[in-house]
Amino acid sequence: MPVTPEFVLGCIILIIGVIAAGFPRPTTYLSRLISLEIPGFGLLLIMLAYDEMLALLTFVGVTAISTFVLVRAIERKEAAP
Amino acid sequence: MELAYPVGLVVVAASIIIGFTALVREKDDLHRILLTDLAEVLALVLIALVATDLAEALILPGLVVGISELMAVSEVYIAKEGLRAPEGPAFRIEVMDSAPGILALILVAYGIVLSGFTGGAIAAVGAVFYFMCRGHTEQFELIETVSGYAWAFWIGAFFIFMFLPAYWFFAVMIAGGAILLKVMAKMSLVGTMRRGGPDV
Repeated sequence: MPVTPEFVLGCIILIIGVIAAGFPRPTTYLSRLISLEIPGFGLLLIMLAYDEMLALLTFVGVTAISTFVLVRAIERKEAAP
Repeated sequence: MELAYPVGLVVVAASIIIGFTALVREKDDLHRILLTDLAEVLALVLIALVATDLAEALILPGLVVGISELMAVSEVYIAKEGLRAPEGPAFRIEVMDSAPGILALILVAYGIVLSGFTGGAIAAVGAVFYFMCRGHTEQFELIETVSGYAWAFWIGAFFIFMFLPAYWFFAVMIAGGAILLKVMAKMSLVGTMRRGGPDV
């Protein structure tokens, strides 16, 4: 299989996203949670390059639920004195 | 395959090194939980690079284990720190009053068309969004009962596969519909975590 544009873009976004999520500039919970979407998008592009449709759709669905779970923990942490 | 796979492996190796460096240098527990999510994404990339049906079959259980692990760890964290739900009136946005009906309808309909595990996850997102925005008053015993029957149908479909292989299409339909109901019923319970029902 030749190297497709989606694959190259996915790899670049993955590296950028891991750096952004690993070392966010204002080190707050919210900025790190938002940065976590970037490597997820790189993963989606790599799955798209390999035609993994079921895995892609399930990842989209599960990411929405995991964001909800994380926001719940962050909300309670920020509300604590 | 001949060039993409080594390039992908190098990229994933570099990402893992960066990600785990960040994880080691982090002191705050909640930040560590967020970075665990990042590590899960990197593991999934590693599996996705296999690029066959096997990769797809391995990613689905990986996602399930990831989400349940994340829920368990965040619950343990909330219990350990003794955190409580924030006081005061609930967060109100106009979209949260008008959107849930139509959005949940679209997602649930699309999930039923997809069927199987993926359809269950998509439909569950619609149900979670609806419960999150509108609150919930229904009986959880009903959801549990439906989920239990769906599981029994799923097992029954596998018996058809084993003993009556001629009727495989019938069994595929039963298994796809049953796992859709099962996953949707279980995951939609997540949507009730916010408004504090008696079971949470």
